[in-house]
Formats: sequence, C-alpha cells, structure tokens
Amino acid sequence: MENSRYSETFDFERKRQREEALRLKNARTGINLFQGSWIFAFVALIVANLQLRSSSPAWPPLGVEKLEPLLPTIATLGLVASAVFARRGFRALKRDDVRGFLVQWRTALALGVAFVAVMAFEWLTLTPLPEVRLRLANGVETMGVLTQYNAMFRVMTAFHGLHALIIGIYMWNVYRGIAHTTPDSCTLWSVEAGAKLWYFVVIAWMLFYVVLYWL
Amino acid sequence: MASISVPMPGVQATPRPKLSEYLRWSVHHKIIGVQYMATALFFFLIGGTLAMLIRWELLTPALDFSPTGSAYNSLFTMHATVMIFLWIIPFWAGLGNYIVPLQLGAKDMAFPWLNAFAFWLIIPAGVLMLAGYFVGPPEAGWTSYPPLSVLFSGDGQTLWIISLHILGVSSILGAINFIVTIKNMRPDTMGWFQMPLFAWAQLATALIQILGVPFLAGGLTLLLLDRVAGTAFFDPSRGGDVLVWQNIFWFYSHPAVYVMVLPGMGVLSEVISVHSRKPIFGYKAIAFSSMGIALVGFTVWAHHMFTSLTPELRIPFMVTSFIIAIPTGIKIFSWIATMWGGKIRFNSAMLFSVGFLSQFVIGGITGMMLGAIPVDIQLHDTYFVVSHFHFVLFGGSVFAIYSSIYHWFPKVTGRMLDERLGKIHFYSTYVAFFFTFFPQHLVGMQGMPRRVAEYAPEFQTLNIIISISAFVLGISTFIILFNMVWSIYKGKVAGPNPWRALTLEWQTSSPPPSYNFKGEVVPFEDPYGYGTEASRVYLDEMEKRLTPANLLGKGGAAASPEPMTGD
Amino acid sequence: MNLSTKGGGSGFNPVLIILGGAIVLVGGYLISLLAPSLFPVAASAEAGPIDQLFRVMLFLGGVVFVLVEGLLIISIVRFRARKGETGDGANFNGNVTLEVIWTAIPAIVVVFITLYSYQVWVDIHSPKSDEMIVEVTGQRFVWNFTYTDPLNRLDEFPTQTFSDTVLHTYVGRPVRLKMQTRDVNHAFWVPTMRIKQDLLAGRETEIGFTPTMAGRFRVVCAELCGSGHGGMYSYIQVYATEQEWMERFIDPKVDLVIHPPEDPVVLGEIILKDGMNGRAYPCSGCHTLDILGWTAQTGPSLNGLGDTADRRAQGRGLADAADYIAQSIRHPNAYIVPGYNAGVMPQFGVSETEPETVDGAYYMYMPEEDLVNIVSYLCTQTATGESACGDIDAITAAVETQSQ
Repeated sequence: MENSRYSETFDFERKRQREEALRLKNARTGINLFQGSWIFAFVALIVANLQLRSSSPAWPPLGVEKLEPLLPTIATLGLVASAVFARRGFRALKRDDVRGFLVQWRTALALGVAFVAVMAFEWLTLTPLPEVRLRLANGVETMGVLTQYNAMFRVMTAFHGLHALIIGIYMWNVYRGIAHTTPDSCTLWSVEAGAKLWYFVVIAWMLFYVVLYWL
Repeated sequence: MASISVPMPGVQATPRPKLSEYLRWSVHHKIIGVQYMATALFFFLIGGTLAMLIRWELLTPALDFSPTGSAYNSLFTMHATVMIFLWIIPFWAGLGNYIVPLQLGAKDMAFPWLNAFAFWLIIPAGVLMLAGYFVGPPEAGWTSYPPLSVLFSGDGQTLWIISLHILGVSSILGAINFIVTIKNMRPDTMGWFQMPLFAWAQLATALIQILGVPFLAGGLTLLLLDRVAGTAFFDPSRGGDVLVWQNIFWFYSHPAVYVMVLPGMGVLSEVISVHSRKPIFGYKAIAFSSMGIALVGFTVWAHHMFTSLTPELRIPFMVTSFIIAIPTGIKIFSWIATMWGGKIRFNSAMLFSVGFLSQFVIGGITGMMLGAIPVDIQLHDTYFVVSHFHFVLFGGSVFAIYSSIYHWFPKVTGRMLDERLGKIHFYSTYVAFFFTFFPQHLVGMQGMPRRVAEYAPEFQTLNIIISISAFVLGISTFIILFNMVWSIYKGKVAGPNPWRALTLEWQTSSPPPSYNFKGEVVPFEDPYGYGTEASRVYLDEMEKRLTPANLLGKGGAAASPEPMTGD
Repeated sequence: MNLSTKGGGSGFNPVLIILGGAIVLVGGYLISLLAPSLFPVAASAEAGPIDQLFRVMLFLGGVVFVLVEGLLIISIVRFRARKGETGDGANFNGNVTLEVIWTAIPAIVVVFITLYSYQVWVDIHSPKSDEMIVEVTGQRFVWNFTYTDPLNRLDEFPTQTFSDTVLHTYVGRPVRLKMQTRDVNHAFWVPTMRIKQDLLAGRETEIGFTPTMAGRFRVVCAELCGSGHGGMYSYIQVYATEQEWMERFIDPKVDLVIHPPEDPVVLGEIILKDGMNGRAYPCSGCHTLDILGWTAQTGPSLNGLGDTADRRAQGRGLADAADYIAQSIRHPNAYIVPGYNAGVMPQFGVSETEPETVDGAYYMYMPEEDLVNIVSYLCTQTATGESACGDIDAITAAVETQSQ
C-alpha cells in the first residue's frame, strides 16, 4: 500500500519519541530513588551523633566548647537561597531563556562556593580540645581528650562538603556547557538533574544543621 | 493435547555469545547477568574452601593449625564476608539482571551503562577483600565489632572496610536499576499484578538495599576513621560508644538477610508453579508478604543485640521479630498449596525448591526460638545461631540458587543440564547439609559458643560428625559445577521452552537474541495460568512461532544471528 | 480438585482434617519431649522458666514442622506426575478461607508467645531481694571476680576486697554480677544457669541469677574477643550452704588479707592465681603454666621460665633471669619470642596514671611490690625447683632497674 512507507517513518518517529520519553522517565525515577536512598547515609551519621550524645554525661562533653552558630547560620541561609536560584535557573531554561538561566545559576554557584568556604573555615578553626582527667576501663587514670563532639562535627561537615563540591562541580560543568553552546533536550535534563541534586545537598545540610547547631 | 516440547536435537537456533564477550565490558544485561553469576560462583568456591578449613580445625577440641586462635578467627571472618557479599548477594543481582528484563518483555535494564559499572565494581572490591590476606587478614568476625575491630585486627580490616564500601555502591546502583526497570518498563498489558513474582521479589530486595546500604556506608566510614584517622567514635576511653556500631551495623545487616532470601523466594514461586503445572496459590498474598517482610525487616535489628542492648529496650524487638514470622508463614503455606492438586515433575529444579521448603521451615522455627528474649539469652552467640542461619542461608538461599540454575540454565545456555547428575547432586547435598548443620543446634544448646577453635572435649563427637558431613557437602558442590561446564558443550539442546512455562522469558529462543524478543511482546494474561485451555493455546502458538525454522530462516532479524555485543 | 475440598478425594472431609490436626499436635508434643535433655542440667532458678518456655516453643515448632513436612510429603506422593503424564494440574489460585486461617492462627500464636516470653523475661530479669554483689572483670582472656567481705572484717585494712578467678557462691542466694571489661567486648555465659550478658567497653553491665544446685559449672566467653576467645573460660563453684561457702572460700581469703604470707614466692603465686589487694592480672589468659593449671597459648609458655629466662638474659646482655622476667612484664615489646606477635601483651607499668607512650597493647598498673613477688615465683619455675635468680634483694634491684 502506498501509505505504508509513510506510516513506517511515522511509526519510527513515534517509537523514537516514546523511547526518548521512557529514557527521561527512567532518569527521573532513578534520580529520585538515588536521593531517597543516599539521604540515609546522612541519617546514619545523625543517628551516630544522637547516640553518642545520649551516652555522654554532658553535651558538649566536659571542657569542650559548644559550636558557634552565627556564621554557619548565615551560610545556611545562603545555601537555601542558592537552591532557590538553581530552581529559577532551571525554570528559565525550560522557557528557553538562556541568559536568565546563566544569571540565576551563576548566583546559585557563587552562594554555594561561599557556603563551602564558610564551612571549611569553621572546620579549620575549631578550638583545640583540652585534656581532661579520664578513668579508663582498665582501672588506670590518665589525662585524655574527649574527641567525639568535634570529631562528629568534622565528619558530618566534611561528608556533606564533599557532596556539595562534587555536585557543585557537576553544575559548574553544565553551566559552562550551556554558556558556550546551544542547549538541547539533553542539556535540559542535565540542568534538571543538577538542580535536583543541589536540592538534595541543601536538604541534607538542613538536617545536619539542625542536629549540629540546634539540638 | 498438551505436550512438553521436544527440542530438535543438534539444532541450536540462536548461537551463544563467545566466551570472550563475557570477559570484557558490555552494557548488555544478559552478558552482565552471566558475569555476575560466574563471579559469584567463583567466590562461592573460595568461601567454601574457607568453610572446609574451619571444619578441619574443629575436628579436635584443641588448636590445630595455628598456635593462637588468630588464624582461625580470620577464617570465619572471611568465610562469612565472602559468602554474604561476594556470593549470594551478587548471584541474585546477576540472575535478576538476566531474567527480570526478559520477564517484563523489555530489551534491557533501565540503565545499561550503570548496570555494567555496578558489576565491574565487584572485581576490585573482591580483590581488595582477599588482598587482606597479604597484610594481616581481618579477624573480628563479619560483624566487626569495635573495640576488637579497631584495636586487635590485622591491617586487612581496613581493606575489608573499603571493599565493603565499594560493594555497597554496587548494590545501591544495581537496586536503583531494578526498581526503575520494574516500575517503568513493563509492557502496557502487564500491570503490577500481572508481573511474575520473581520480579516482585527483586523489587522488594532492591527497596531493602536502597534504604539499608547507605546506613552501612555511614557506619563503615566511622569505623574506618577510627582505624586510620585516630578518631574515637567507638573508643569509650575518649568518649565513644561501642553500641553505636552495633545499632548502625545491624540496622543494615538484618535487612541484608532478607536481601539474601527474598530473591530465592521469588525463584520458588516460579519453579514450584511451573513444575507443578499449577497457578501460584495466593499471588497477591505472596507479593504483599514480600513487601511486608522488606518493611518489617527494618524494625527487628536489635534482636541481634539481646545480650548487649539496654534490657528495657529489648522488648519491642522481640515483638517485631515474632511478627515477621507471619508473612513468612503465609508464603510457605501458599507454596504448599500451589503444589497441592498439581502434576508435579520432580526434576532437579523442583527438588531443590522442595528442599528449600523443608529446610527453611526448620530455620524459621529456630528463628522464632531465637526471637524470644529469655531463650535467646541462652542461645545467642552459640552454635545454635550458626545452625539457624545456615538453615535459612544454605538450606534456603543456596538451595534456591541451585534450583534457579537448574530451571534457567536451559534459557541462558540453550542446553539442558544432565538430570541424573542433578539428582545425585540434590540427594548428596540434602543429606550432607542436614548432617552438617542440624547437630550444630545440639552443640550450641549444650554450651558450645561460636567463633572458637578450642572447645570443651565433650563436644568433639558431634563436631566430628559435622565436619565429615561438611566435607561431603563441599565435594558435592563440584557435581553441579561439572554438570554446568559439561552441559554447555554436550547437553541436550533445550529449545525455547523446555518446561512449557508461561512467563515471558520462555517465549523467546534459548538463549534469547540480543534484542530479546522478535516482534511484539505478547505476555499471557496470567503468568501462572496453568491448567486452562487458553494457556494451552498460547503455549502451542508460541511453540509454532519459535521453531528453529522460523528463527533461522524466513523470520527476519534472526536470519543472521548477531553476537550480543554491548553498545 | 479444588482446595476448598482439601483433605479428601471428594468433598470437604472434616474427619481427615481433625485426624490430620491430631497427628500434627501429637507429633509436636512428642518432639517437645526432647526438650529437657537438649539443654545441660538446669542449675539456677532462672533455668526453670526458660526451659519451660523453650519446651513450649519446641512444641509449637514441632507442630509447624510436622504440619509442613507432612503436607510436603503428602504432596510429593499424591500429586507427582505419573509416567507419561504431561497435562497440567487443576486451575485454582486462591481460597480466602484458607488464607485467612493460615494468617490468623499464626498471628494468634505470635501474640501468645509474645506475652508468655515477656512474662518470663520480666520474671528472670527483675532484681531479687538480698542479692550478693560480685564484681566481674573480663579481660583478654581471663575472668576475675571481686568480692567484699560479708562480715566487714577487713574494715581496718587498706583493701576491703579480694578476688578469685573462679566465681564462688552458694545454693539459694541470689547473685548480681556487675561486669566491666578492661579491653574489648566479652560476654559472660553460664550454659547450666541459662544466663548470658555482654560486657561492653565503656559501660558496666549486670545480670542476676540464683543457683539451685551445688557443683562446679562452666563459665564461657560468648563474644569474640580475639585469639584466645575459645580458651577464655572459668567456673562457678556453688557450695551447698552459706556456712560451707564462708568456711571454704571467704575465711581463707580474708585470712590472706589479714595475715599475708611473708615468702615472696608464695605471695607471687597468690597474685598470679587470684590477685591480691584488689589487683588482679590477666596472665592466665594468654600463657601456659602447668603447675597453676593455665592452658592458654596466645603468648609463650611459662613452663620452665626460670631456666629460659636465665638463657635469654645471657643472650641479651641482661644481668640475670630476674631482669629478663621483669623486663618482659614492664616492657613487653622489648623482646618478642620468635613465633609470637608484638602489640598483644599489655604493658604492666609502675605509674598509677597511664604514661605518654605505652610499650604494649595497652597499659595496666602493677606496683613494684607485686612485680617483685611475681618475679620471685616465676624464678622458681625451673627443672630443679630451685630459683634461677638471686636472693630477694637482687630481685628487688632487678625490678627497680626495669621500672625506670
């Protein structure tokens, strides 16, 4: 039938679109699952923190200085703002507003860098721990250091900071790619993925922030 | 008139991939599946060798082949770690990889590249794990409790931790792949409740892994830091707490045992239904009970800590541990009801599934006993526990693995396994298994703790019986290995559907072509709809479509069968 | 054949159901009769309820076992495809009544067993009145038990406690063990008394029990603690009456505190065996010494140590055997006997607070007077029984040198 060749290409095109849609759907489900899963690594560290806290007679332990919340709170607000900008950038690109996207993401990345810098500063400027008198299990008395408060802070912020860096670098690469070439449907997905991963970084930090500075 | 299709001798419709294809990077799920399974079988042999050494040491009450118990401690540490993380879990990942896309009528998994990446992580992880032997193997048990694992374990303990990190990443990526595939890639005609139960089992398993493995990652990170960075998360003298490890570890490791057994239960649903020629009894109950076990499995972890957890906190875990018996019981009764009224073919696949049922129920019973706190106080950390988990992990999972091999080997290789050897394998394994592990209940109850190379002399007789049976069990493993290798080259040609089964993987050639299905995928309305006229019609129609003539000659794409290369 | 007609060839057959049920229950009961003999003798008040609970669980387990295996065997025999049969089975895939039954009955059993277990747990776990407190120390790889004198005769003395490597008590008196570990996690398990409790680093844990039978009952470590885990055991010595316990255990111990022997060799033996003045050392956990009944193999054997020390002292430029022995204890990593590993033996040092660097696996305090006595005793471990070292002054000097 004469129409058959036309319907063949039409079918092929539809099939390709369906496969494209399926790939996108798979990728979306995949990223959602990954985030839902990986947050539990952060939760595990929180659980460790809470349990160490409950088995310690005082928190912070004797002689250890409590974490100063002012600067980290400002940095956290900046991080939350960066998520807002990341989302606005994604929305802009969906509307084909490339310039808008570039502006918003530049801001988001700058805020992210600022956040990492502040937390790195906090990391490096922790007050050194004092030696206190400890009674060991083998009956011996010794001068020792109660490390768990600071160590927990260091592990949690470093673990989070690593994620912020990796995802930030990914976003930076996506940004550069779009700054130099015309975006297509593939880059739109990479922006969506980057934005979603960045929300994950922010939410993970919110959990850590509450545990480290509020509880 | 229903008939079991007889493969045409000497004619292999679709050629198998060459050996070299399995040795290199491929993103194709069937290649990756076989890679996983072959690697897992290799580690099975390593773990089994370690078991033989353990049982040899235990022939006498004194220390035999090392002046201190250190060498022995590293034996059971590596035995358990290898068996859990490098044999059972990867094998199920591999089988699922091969079968699930076929059962769903899909061309591949949702993320083929990620699939290959997840597999290839296993190799360096396994190498790293075994490399521990060169620097002082870990000797703190697979449970790796601090302070022992931080203070008094070889440098290999650090490699062990890193290796587990890598395996954890592999598990998470694999699990995401399974969930997305099962959720998004079924054909339009296959709703959630028309999906084979093996897919449900893999789904439940994957859900457990994505929730639990990251927890283990967090705990392992803290243990690693304590070992290499001088932190004191688990050192009470500097403010740490040893129970933090126990809680985090078991929060993952208890659900991990369901990761090891649920796919096996999925296999049982397939095998029992097909070989009894009967619909699975209680499809929805089995599907929901898999999800129920996955969920409740996250609430029971501290039953491993009944002698270490604060006494007041122990009760809730006893309650949840008892509750999980209910969905398990539902499954067992459903499988028996599936057999009831059937026309059962007792081939090797079915034998091992029935074997699973008969051994797993014992493991379930002893599990219930261990769930009662007062009884567990006596039995925790004794050979009773060793016996319990071997009943569910060997009598359960490994029997299911054997069953799955006998069932799906024809699909993967296009050849049948030798039935006589299969029966010899089954009977020798069944008897040797029972005499290896059942007496361990008794020595445990009588007072023999676990993880000891020296024991009180009164336990020696039973230990000798156990060890000899274990040696027989070890030897019997080679029967199936030989059978597999021999049958690949000399086995009877299987044809597309030697079992006349209704699930989709059987409605294509053996092995399937690289694109899995020629033409449109037509699943039968009920993957377990045996005993109806409609099923007979469907199977006959499929048999006609999948004759060698059709596949080889005028049929289109299969005319020039191409190798399954990754792309 | 439809499963709603289960149990018979045709129709719902109540007789077969009841008969099957009876067989299953009887089978379970017969299996449960095995229960008492599977456990060792019951030697505590706690053992009674625990054994009874286990018996009930064995009954329930036996019922499930007979039911499941029975149904399996019946299925295998009845529903096997006969030769030449190629057809399918019946097409049914559910039966709501049946599924409700096999969900509801296990649920009811689960509720019952939960409540019963809870009641037994509360019973055995609750503190009793007039408990005797014994402090337990677990350490790689030896148990130590510390008592305070029940009659307070030691009030005037620097120490009110004495210790032993065996737990001594008497029938009918509740005991509460307060347990600490000096290094890694251990677990205190007495199979005949059905009690087990982990010793967790950094915490004190407790367990209580009441012996009901006189005799000698094994104590086993039930938490992997290292190379000597399998050899870490002890005993509970239960006397028939309190008086016997006082006469045969307490009085001699109190006497030792009030009238300590003068001979350093005798003192050394007492310190090594049971500890003294509130201090006990874990030597028996790692070393073999036949004369004291030590059998551990994590460290080198101490049999004939006097002669060995003499030889090694010469080879290593030390003054005499006493120097070698004292050095091995004060600085265990200074010389490792071939075939053994560094970093396993604790350092027994002279300061009460832990020094900056520890020359051993970890640090324990051992005052000079204890070391002098220990060295004196170990010096006599020779082929002839004569001391391989000089007199007490020489030994004291050697100890002082090594204690720098």
